Amino acid sequence: MVTTKPFLETFDTVHAGEPDWLLQRRRSALARFGELGLPTRRQENWRFTNLRPLEKQEFAPGDSVSVAATAIAPYLVEGAGHRIVLVNGRFDSGLSKLDGLPAGVLLASVKAIVSNDVPGFFLLGPQIFGEGTEEAKQPFLALNTGAALDGFALGIPAGTKIERPIEIVHIADAASPLSVNSRSAILAGEDTKASIIETFIGTGEYWQNAVLRVQVAARAELHHVTIQDHGSEAIHTGSTTIHLAEKSRYNSFNLTVGGRLARQDVYLAMSGADATCAVDGAYLLRGSQEATMATLIDHQAPGCKTREVFKGVVEEQAHGVFQGKIQVRQAAQKTDAHQLNKNLLLGERAIVDTKPELEIFADDVKCSHGATVGDLDEAAMFYLRARGIPEKQARNMLVEAFAADAIDLVEDLRLQQHLRRHLDRWLAGRPS
Amino acid sequence: MLEIKNLHARLKDGREILKGIDLTVNAGEVHAIMGPNGSGKSTLAGVLAGRDGYEITEGSVTYQGKDLLDLSADERAREGVFLAFQYPVEIPGVNNMYFLRAALNAVRRQRGEPELDAGQFLKAVRAKLKLLDIGEDLLQRAVNVGFSGGEKKRNEIFQMAMLEPKLAILDETDSGLDIDALRVVAHGVNNMRSPERAAVMITHYQRLLDYVEPDVVHVLSHGRIVRSGDKSLAAELECKGYAFLDDVA
Amino acid sequence: MTTDTLDVRSLANQAYKYGFVTDIEADEAPPGLDESTVAFISAKKGEPEWLLEWRLKAFRAWLKMTPPDWAKLKIAPIDYQASTYYSAPKKKDGPKSLDEVDPELLATYEKLGIPLGERARLAGIAVDAVFDSVSVATTFRAQLAELGIIFCSFGEAVREHPDLVRQYLGSVVPQGDNFFAALNSAVFSDGSFAYIPPGVHCPMELSTYFRINAANSGQFERTLLIADKGARVSYLEGCTAPQRDENQLHAAVVELVALEDANIKYSTVQNWYPGDAEGRGGIYNFVTKRGACRGANSKISWTQVETGSAITWKYPSCILEGDNSIGEFYSVAITNNLQQADTGTKMIHLGRNTSSTIISKGISAGRGQNTYRGLVKIMPKAQGARNYTQCDSLLIGDKCGAHTVPYIEVRNPSARVEHEATTSKISEDQMFYCLQRGLTSEDALSLIVNGFCKEVLKELPMEFAVEAQKLLAVSLEGSVG
Repeated sequence: MVTTKPFLETFDTVHAGEPDWLLQRRRSALARFGELGLPTRRQENWRFTNLRPLEKQEFAPGDSVSVAATAIAPYLVEGAGHRIVLVNGRFDSGLSKLDGLPAGVLLASVKAIVSNDVPGFFLLGPQIFGEGTEEAKQPFLALNTGAALDGFALGIPAGTKIERPIEIVHIADAASPLSVNSRSAILAGEDTKASIIETFIGTGEYWQNAVLRVQVAARAELHHVTIQDHGSEAIHTGSTTIHLAEKSRYNSFNLTVGGRLARQDVYLAMSGADATCAVDGAYLLRGSQEATMATLIDHQAPGCKTREVFKGVVEEQAHGVFQGKIQVRQAAQKTDAHQLNKNLLLGERAIVDTKPELEIFADDVKCSHGATVGDLDEAAMFYLRARGIPEKQARNMLVEAFAADAIDLVEDLRLQQHLRRHLDRWLAGRPS
Repeated sequence: MLEIKNLHARLKDGREILKGIDLTVNAGEVHAIMGPNGSGKSTLAGVLAGRDGYEITEGSVTYQGKDLLDLSADERAREGVFLAFQYPVEIPGVNNMYFLRAALNAVRRQRGEPELDAGQFLKAVRAKLKLLDIGEDLLQRAVNVGFSGGEKKRNEIFQMAMLEPKLAILDETDSGLDIDALRVVAHGVNNMRSPERAAVMITHYQRLLDYVEPDVVHVLSHGRIVRSGDKSLAAELECKGYAFLDDVA
Repeated sequence: MTTDTLDVRSLANQAYKYGFVTDIEADEAPPGLDESTVAFISAKKGEPEWLLEWRLKAFRAWLKMTPPDWAKLKIAPIDYQASTYYSAPKKKDGPKSLDEVDPELLATYEKLGIPLGERARLAGIAVDAVFDSVSVATTFRAQLAELGIIFCSFGEAVREHPDLVRQYLGSVVPQGDNFFAALNSAVFSDGSFAYIPPGVHCPMELSTYFRINAANSGQFERTLLIADKGARVSYLEGCTAPQRDENQLHAAVVELVALEDANIKYSTVQNWYPGDAEGRGGIYNFVTKRGACRGANSKISWTQVETGSAITWKYPSCILEGDNSIGEFYSVAITNNLQQADTGTKMIHLGRNTSSTIISKGISAGRGQNTYRGLVKIMPKAQGARNYTQCDSLLIGDKCGAHTVPYIEVRNPSARVEHEATTSKISEDQMFYCLQRGLTSEDALSLIVNGFCKEVLKELPMEFAVEAQKLLAVSLEGSVG
């Protein structure tokens, strides 16, 4: 059972030295979480997500630990220039690499910012932990506000382009069940360009509750890849909020392969005219994994373009869920938004639930969605086998092609290559 | 090489399509099977290649001394049975080159030959591409995706040339081809002719037979071979049409 | 027997006694809804004990329920105690002749090409004054009876064929299924019943009779249709003409049962009063329609053209139990002015090799809100199940809304489910092309909208299809400037 008790008990120690405004925010957020409790399947937005593992186990806030560099080495991106590593949700300066950034770029630990250890950025604190109206309804967000110890903050001043990808590694090491709350923010200024890749990994029984807020200013371009490759006993809840200003571009990809229970919520507001976004991803599930990808793309301004492609491969007795809503407000004329969710259902006891949704209040729009659930294409299987390719290899080829089709949408080729390696690793573990 | 005896096959819905086929194909021979639409030509091709969806109710198929029907589709292919599809399947996301190399190496393993590395493979590919007038760009695309009808058929023959099967079954390979493409395809098929190989060409029209001369022509009607003869039979069909079959059947 | 049932029974008996002795001659039940109202209705209709019990069970279930709030609808609260739940048909209240009828209504009939003989009935003129419906009905019924087909009012079926009614009533839509179905089950007034015996192909569209005779069957209508093994039937309900009705809430229930190899086609054209341009008045159409493909190789096909009502809430569904059974849903829904529609279907695949097709066309104009809501559920035993869904929405004007909310739940890996949806505005190029060729903008709109809906309209029986096309045009009047 998740309660506020362990967070309140340790409150004074872990948050010692934080400014008063933040302590107040945290106390009211924890109180709010106490009122809300965990979501239930009777709530429309949670009807497919089974949170029982969270109800059965208490996850205590963890102490700080350190991990060896070898633990993260296999997950690092070739050619990444800058890195922040968070171990059990705390900044690890030894494993991080903050040098070599263009002048004026902020890449720092959130704790350092709110403690005013990073000169000149104390105003960012209230933005990162800012008042969110969603918090009143979202228990995990409220808990995160109350409990998050640290996270990363990336601030890019106007006009700056960062050539090499910035990578963030969230690693958990749990000897006993623990909770990891991370709170992060990306602020991309006008006319900037950057690529960022976040990787979630870990061992043991833990619950990662990650909150990220992203703001992309006018004409900025941000590439954002998230890889959730947690250990098999992990639970992941993630909430990412993105605001796009006019003519900005945001390209994201979320790969979900890890954890036993995962839920990622994405809220993206196209608040400026003529913005473009790609919200893509893949979930590759086996065993008794459960994963939900829930997105809401809210078109508020005219002339925006959206592409959303999610592919799911669900094997054995795993359960994959996609809930994607495209909303077009009346002011958002000339919206061009397309959503596609395709699923391969490959296990006798595997389950796929998908709810692609369009909510449209403007008339001059081009919007579509599509969803499919099915086995591998029989005709393609026969064609491959008729050329002598053994059944298992043929199935692997088709599964790979299916998932790679989504990964190939990633524009930053370095990140695309990195994702392909994760896919290969996953494919190598396919049951025969 | 191939001996079909009293072969009966029906669809899952119970409709019997093949009603007792007898056919013997020896090494070195090219056979043409002709017949009107719905006579069971494509079913025969599918049954020989091991496509799902058919039930064999009676009869046997022996290929090089083995029970062909006992083998899975990929085992048959590795044993040297090649089906050129009437409608080659589009496989998005699977690169043509990657696909072909996987297939070729599967066949080579079966033959006890070493697998080809990327360089050797490319060399082999280039030699055959010329033969079939295929551009190299075709290989970089996904299997059959976005190919024109002619390109798909040429890709089939190209695969055949690469895999060097013992028994090639060409299912309506000539349909939908213009005369130039037909020549290229015929050239590819003729190139494969040898005393160790055999081919079965399934076709509705005589025109492919003008370019690839068959040793034996069979006429299939209502699931049975109703006549067999030399290539003059094809010419007879061409001039009389299939209607006359009703008299002989 | 539990004390609960005893209570119900004693209550029912009281009401029955009270109702029978004093109020049976009354035309109306007193306003309000309690167990005595239910008993009154049942007594009024001379129903057997078991049916009264059945209604009371529904009523008790209803008391514990709340109106559904998940639909994308804004519904003013309904005071269920303020309504009257039974009133005898008032034949003499209507206008006496066409001369007394609202000319606007007559103009609409003209546009729709409604036959003269029918206009009077539709306008509410007492039917038997102008048309001998009874004899016509009798002629049809004699013809059907020769084939063993039973087709009659629900009340008559309860009297004449109680075993069939008892066997199937509530077997597809149980009393406590949802708030409105429970209400209907408690207080349903009348409706239709049809039974097609094994192997019989019903020789006529069952509408023929319906359109002549079964108007004004009330706000809580109940339809039960059974196609026995190998039977085929096509059933039409509703009418293209605008139907005025003073009852604001319509909560009908339709149950279809298809046994082995049976085939049911159920077509609806719904054009209840939508309210005026400001959204005043208009019918709340809260309908539960469901069909069960009980037997192998059975098929149920729903086709609906929904143009009327202020609010439409309906999801004609198929439960595909029999192996190889087929469910279909073809829908056109138009919302203009302030109309709201939340409609779609549920396809529940239980049997092997079951397949379903959903084609939905939503058109929003004015300030209308149009939602497609659908569920495709493939259960673990539905080996080889197939579904194809296509939902297209068309927007006319910038103040309306079009929404698509599909739920796809798959629990069998051999299933194949495909869903596609598009939303776009009416094509300016198409409009301009038509205008340039000399069409008026209203004609052009009608042409384009009809094209948009073609896949659905072609599923309607021929004589209905022509009227439906005109209906689309009339429903969209005033939506282009």
